[in-house]
Amino acid sequence: MIVYDECVAEIQALLAQSHAGGSIVPPESDLIDELGLASLDVMELIEALEDRFDVAFPLNELGDVRTISDLAQRIQNLT
Amino acid sequence: MSLLQKLDAARAFQDQLGQLGVNAIGATIDVAGSATEGKIDGKRVILAGTNNYLGLTFDPACIEAAAQAVRTHGTGTTGSRLANGTYAGHAALERELSAFLGVRSAIAFTTGYVANVGAISTLAGPGDIIMLDADSHASIYEGAKLSGAEIYRFRHNDPADLDKRLRRLGDRCARTLVIVESLYSMLGDVAPLDQFCDVVKRHGAFLLLDDAHSFGIMGENGRGLAEVLGVEDEIDFVTGTFSKSLGSVGGFFASRKHDVAPLRSQIRAYMFTASSTPSVIASTRAALKRVSQGEALRAQLWKNCARVHEGLSSLGFTLGAAPSPVIASLMDSPEQAATAWQALLDAGIYVNLVVPPGAPKNLSLLRCSLSAAHTDDQVERIIEGYATVAQQLFDQPRAAATAYA
Ligand SMILES: Cc1ncc(COP(=O)(O)O)c(C=O)c1O
Repeated sequence: MIVYDECVAEIQALLAQSHAGGSIVPPESDLIDELGLASLDVMELIEALEDRFDVAFPLNELGDVRTISDLAQRIQNLT
Repeated sequence: MSLLQKLDAARAFQDQLGQLGVNAIGATIDVAGSATEGKIDGKRVILAGTNNYLGLTFDPACIEAAAQAVRTHGTGTTGSRLANGTYAGHAALERELSAFLGVRSAIAFTTGYVANVGAISTLAGPGDIIMLDADSHASIYEGAKLSGAEIYRFRHNDPADLDKRLRRLGDRCARTLVIVESLYSMLGDVAPLDQFCDVVKRHGAFLLLDDAHSFGIMGENGRGLAEVLGVEDEIDFVTGTFSKSLGSVGGFFASRKHDVAPLRSQIRAYMFTASSTPSVIASTRAALKRVSQGEALRAQLWKNCARVHEGLSSLGFTLGAAPSPVIASLMDSPEQAATAWQALLDAGIYVNLVVPPGAPKNLSLLRCSLSAAHTDDQVERIIEGYATVAQQLFDQPRAAATAYA
């Protein structure tokens, strides 16, 4: 089972490397509007999370994902 | 927020490209004139960014077939394949294509894009799964979206990654369509198709190959990468286009393993659009004949590829892949790519300028595509054009372009 907090922390850590210049951003941060991820970046983030938690995350689920928290919830729901 | 904000955003995007010196809607070719030379802005240039791999757009037999067809059958069919839009030529092309590929059935479409959208969105539906290579063509993504199936991506050209992702799906693999291409259009890299076949088979999933770019140019008989690797019998479905090696326009959907013909009455992108113009069908049939006896054309094409690849790498360009008819030079930035592209055009060489988000990994590229119709002299002039660009570029040390390769 994937714990929400663990998932948020993982996303924050991945984004710190790729988009947030090393800093940990709050869970309410909007991936596209605030952190500036392009759609390709979001898909790459998903790939990394799938591998980290060994789950399959359908791209169709991305539609209403806006924030780190949204994404963490979706991933938690997969298991 | 108004609907029309999208227009503003589109204009802003074009302006942004314009500032880089990129004409967002591409160059206008005033006159083509031949498969390899045309006029852009009143200036004669060598066309080296056309996908016209075998140069058949100006093949005399293809032109004659099209001209005769337009006189006999008129300029258009004005109807769908299911209504008044199937002429004897359309049916003959499908038979000839089936015989050439050795498939049970083949369905011709108005474009390759439409073939992908139609075939993929009909093969898979809600409850099914589509697993696609991350670098898939837009039409594959589009068909997947339209299907209503769950969509997953695996890492580009990475059978181990596909294996891992199929494993996660468990017994849902029986409802999974895996989609890959052969020769990838932007970087010119080739899929490890035999390994993909193994992985897909092991998991009991299905494989669709979009063979847009290797059809006609690879394989002893021109049946593409699957022929080269001896895996044609293992691929469930194939789509392709008439707009590259066949030098016309249109697309197809075919299968050796399954009879796809009944899907004609299910595929909306087949039923609800006008069929190909008879002259297009006629030139495609003539081109297919040339392809099926095309050993010499293919040999000439690959000789040109090897020469240009060697020429550009010795000039210091970082190239996207091993020699193939698509030779992409990786640039450091969109600005540098745009400047280099213009310099090449000024030197009389037209190639494709690709800036983000047009290519994988947000790369900026000069995409050269070669043709069997390029003469030795033209091939040398292409390399000379790149040499003038190299002089301008490589005064300064290289930076990011080496990162990908
Ligand atoms: C891989 C791939 N599939 C499909 C297509 C679509 O082909 P068409 O030009 O016939 O619409 C293309 C060409 O752009 C392509 O590169």
